[in-house]
Amino acid sequence: MTHLVLDQVSIHYDGQPAPAVERVSIDIAKDDFVVLVGRSGCGKTSLLNVAAGLVEPVRGRATIGGRPITAPGSDRAVVFQNDALFPWLTARENVAFALRLRGVRAAERARTADNLLALVKLDRAGDKRIWELSGGMRQRVGLARALGAEPQFLLLDEPLGALDALTRERMQTTLLDLWTASQVGVLMVTHGIEEALVLATHIIVLAPGPGRVVRSFEAGFSRRYAAGEAIRSIKADPAFAAARGELTDAIFEGEGA
Amino acid sequence: MTVTSYTERPQRSKVDDGADALSVPWSRSRPRRSRVSARMVSAITILMVLAAWTASARLQLVSPVFLPSAVAVWDKFVVVARDGFVDATLLQHIAASLWRVFAALIVALVVGVPIGLAIGISTMGRGIFDPLLEFLRPIPPLAYLPLIIIWFGIGEPSKILVIAIAMLAPVALSTASGVRGVSQERINAARALGATRRQVIRHVILPSALPSILTGLRIALGAGWSTLVAAELVAATRGLGFMIQSAAQFLVTDVVVMGILVIAAIAFVLEFIIRRIERVLVPWAGRE
Repeated sequence: MTHLVLDQVSIHYDGQPAPAVERVSIDIAKDDFVVLVGRSGCGKTSLLNVAAGLVEPVRGRATIGGRPITAPGSDRAVVFQNDALFPWLTARENVAFALRLRGVRAAERARTADNLLALVKLDRAGDKRIWELSGGMRQRVGLARALGAEPQFLLLDEPLGALDALTRERMQTTLLDLWTASQVGVLMVTHGIEEALVLATHIIVLAPGPGRVVRSFEAGFSRRYAAGEAIRSIKADPAFAAARGELTDAIFEGEGA
Repeated sequence: MTVTSYTERPQRSKVDDGADALSVPWSRSRPRRSRVSARMVSAITILMVLAAWTASARLQLVSPVFLPSAVAVWDKFVVVARDGFVDATLLQHIAASLWRVFAALIVALVVGVPIGLAIGISTMGRGIFDPLLEFLRPIPPLAYLPLIIIWFGIGEPSKILVIAIAMLAPVALSTASGVRGVSQERINAARALGATRRQVIRHVILPSALPSILTGLRIALGAGWSTLVAAELVAATRGLGFMIQSAAQFLVTDVVVMGILVIAAIAFVLEFIIRRIERVLVPWAGRE
């Protein structure tokens, strides 16, 4: 099975006195949902950008299926906090973007895009312009567009960060549905503790100065959702509350407050 | 919120809208019926200017050689439209000028947009073209007109070239600023979807820069019209600029004034058309 691996990765931006990230290793299998959490400045996004091929580590290696990652590629589609959709295209054309780059014919492109839109529950929004969509809908178009590249891994950089609390909650289940339906490995950055618990199979807690891994959890709640349990009943489980306490402690450990 | 001056309204922002409505009476969000619109004031201003113009002619404050009456200008417009002036009808003059301006615009776009792309995308491009454009930009067309004539003769190409040179800088610089303004996230997203460098330029950078390019086109048209008269200084037999100059030589002031108004009217109509085109081509501009 293909793995996306960050091996002893250190990141040091030009002109910065200290490295942003030091010796972080992450291994993501194709059915994993790995979530990076941690306080601001712990290098979560930097690590995601290394996996995306947008940032080059000063030490260590990033590989996908054993091949080194040197540039962005459609095997690792990225979704950003600001959806970065193309406003001159309709929702459907946005989703079909990766297919168009590959030279897929228009009719087939539209069909695939419509399927992807249905997958994110936007069946009727295909002809809509981007600015006519709400924040949640835009983010769903962004997810569908990423899946249009037929990636092996999805890299999500706080994709739900700009959404209101209710939309956010609904989007979490959408994300899980996508993950189970499309068989991709996910690496996601978030600030939300509960979000991390709901979504992740593995949670990696980073601490700043320089960014490093302080804890690594296995979390089983998303597998339980995938197995058919309702999200409400999962969140009501005392184990969920306990895990939330433990995760919160890990994140704020050593902060002194 | 602090209000520095009572003639100045506080800036409205979504966050403290509610607070505003309570504490600052003039920003209550009650639907207000505006009694004066800017459009109405503009209309009145134009009417006043026309009235002053007519009055000065009627009272013979100035000689018609200096300022013919509005009626005389209108009559001249009708006569020239029908019978022509210096061997061409008004329509032929307009057509000649429009053709020059549009030919020049196409040249400026074909040359300027790629230059702007190069400036915006690569350090090399910026190094090469930035100083050249900065050199070209402030030179008035009348200054390089003689050189163009020495190089390219007195034919039509010279006239188009003079206008195109004036249009080049606005097109290229607007394109460059549009390209530099493309969000890095958008480019990264496209690359992560598998776009090559060329595809990023074609599918992301160019469409993103389109609103800027159209703005540049609008500025360029303005620059083109102002250069038109200079371009038609030498060896033209048709054109609005030529018409005005020949009229000036014979002190036919009413044709001069009429020509100026026709140029203004055409510029106004073009501006209107381009705004329409913008609305169709880049409806997303300002809505992201």
